[in-house]
Amino acid sequence: MNRGLFLKAAREHWPATLSFGAAIFLVETVHAYVMPSIQAQFGAQWAQLKLIQSVVQAMLGTDASGGMGPEMFLSIAWVHPVVLAIVWAHAIVCSTRMPAGEVDRGTMDVLLGLPVSRREVFVAETGAVGSGALCVLTLAWIGNRIGGSIASAPLHAPASRVGIVLLNLLCLYLAVGGFGVFVSALSDRRGKAMAVVFIAVLASFLLNYLAQFWEPAKRVSFLSLMTYYRPFFILRGGSWPAADMAILAGMGSAAWLAAGVVFSKRDLSTV
Amino acid sequence: MSLIALQALTRRYGSRRGVEEVSLSVPEGSLFGFLGPNGAGKTTTIRVLLGFLRPTSGSARVFGLDCWRESPRIKADVGYLPGDLRLYPWMTGRDALRTSGAVRRCDLMRRGAELAEEFGLDLHVKVRSLSRGMRQKLGLILALAHAPRLLVLDEPTSSLDPLVQEQLRDRLRRLSAAGHTVFFSSHTLSEVESLCDRVAIVRAGRIIADSKLDDLRRATGHEVTIRWKDGAGASGNAPPEFLRLSRTDAATWSGTLEGPVSRLVDWLAGKPVDDLAIGRPDLESLFRRYYEEERSAP
Repeated sequence: MNRGLFLKAAREHWPATLSFGAAIFLVETVHAYVMPSIQAQFGAQWAQLKLIQSVVQAMLGTDASGGMGPEMFLSIAWVHPVVLAIVWAHAIVCSTRMPAGEVDRGTMDVLLGLPVSRREVFVAETGAVGSGALCVLTLAWIGNRIGGSIASAPLHAPASRVGIVLLNLLCLYLAVGGFGVFVSALSDRRGKAMAVVFIAVLASFLLNYLAQFWEPAKRVSFLSLMTYYRPFFILRGGSWPAADMAILAGMGSAAWLAAGVVFSKRDLSTV
Repeated sequence: MSLIALQALTRRYGSRRGVEEVSLSVPEGSLFGFLGPNGAGKTTTIRVLLGFLRPTSGSARVFGLDCWRESPRIKADVGYLPGDLRLYPWMTGRDALRTSGAVRRCDLMRRGAELAEEFGLDLHVKVRSLSRGMRQKLGLILALAHAPRLLVLDEPTSSLDPLVQEQLRDRLRRLSAAGHTVFFSSHTLSEVESLCDRVAIVRAGRIIADSKLDDLRRATGHEVTIRWKDGAGASGNAPPEFLRLSRTDAATWSGTLEGPVSRLVDWLAGKPVDDLAIGRPDLESLFRRYYEEERSAP
């Protein structure tokens, strides 16, 4: 990897990574801190209410009516819409920066004027986006640990299970980011690329949400990325969701590779 | 040896024209002016040379290498200043030199600092705080810092003050004298005339002239102005066939002389001439003439 290109790309991503990282750190800390007290207030009779079950199911994206224990509260920290919004926002912002962002801002001519191949540019950018993703998820994990450690009666989940959830979340990031890079590779306008990815991610989220209540949506729910991200089952059972992760990682990698091919072959210059 | 060689290069943007059948040869060590109005195809040609755009047909080679397939190798020895320069706003001049040096795997700080002193640029200021002219200076420093064999400058003097423009011209002349090649794209005739030894004129995507500036002037004849005594210009003197007049009135004839000057002198002998001016046309009149010929062509 070209060190100069990587450092430049990492410097470009740094403000987004820092802001979204700080945000997710705070949100995870608060979640982990307040969840034990919420669980304490959540009596068994509440768990029997159909309305409550529906709300929880909608939030988790899966039917948890049989097991509204600590795992359910722990998993909320990883599926809460604010958490997902932060992770997706980082993925969308960072993945659409190059080439669409460079072309849109007019810096592509300067970048490609350097003696580097497009592959080198793409690899450096991928490295910078990947590093940013790891930073954000690491900050989420640290926030979760700190919040849990200062809570009065912390909910405990084995570190290995939380690790699997984080890996599953990384695969989800890869899928969203891969789609973002692919759209960006086809586009000259970053705003347009971001809008396309945002709409796709929102549609994916809504589809999974509707699939919890609506049979027609359930039949096509396999199209939603969220179908392959279910922390509740991981935290409850501790099993590896290998198929889910393979699907997300496969989709993301394929999109990322396709973006690399498009990027290396298309005409590129400031418009 | 030709450093840049374009053979029937065509580049279209869908149905829109970019450049058509452009053939060009830029000798090593030359100061080559690439002249044309806005939208003529100058920037498109440069973008093909640097591998940003793939040719629709024809070939483009720099240092004998294919511009699309071997672009990174070509750019290792090219300094490029884009026409519409946009730099990363968060960078300082030092950051930009450090980044460029890291990518090129060489230290550009010392040479960059020398150039910054020559052009009067503070390298510690962030790009977002620099004026347009100062950004242009930074772009020039980045293009020059690695002492490239070929310098491709797309309208480099825009937004530079006249003193810096002159400094740049001096620097380019020195580079050319040292064997570096300069490809200088511009729509400003006077600067191409004062700087370049060879010029290609591009219009509507096609090259309409390409030769040494002196040859171009020679081929297009002399500019002639004849002032007649007592309105003799209107008194039955028919112009000879080798004198193409663009202005005729009783007191003054002006136009273009084709062929040797002696023919005109012989023809004027004994005629009531008050004053005679004969000179090579400047680039502006050449440029106009080419354009008028093109426009009047069927």
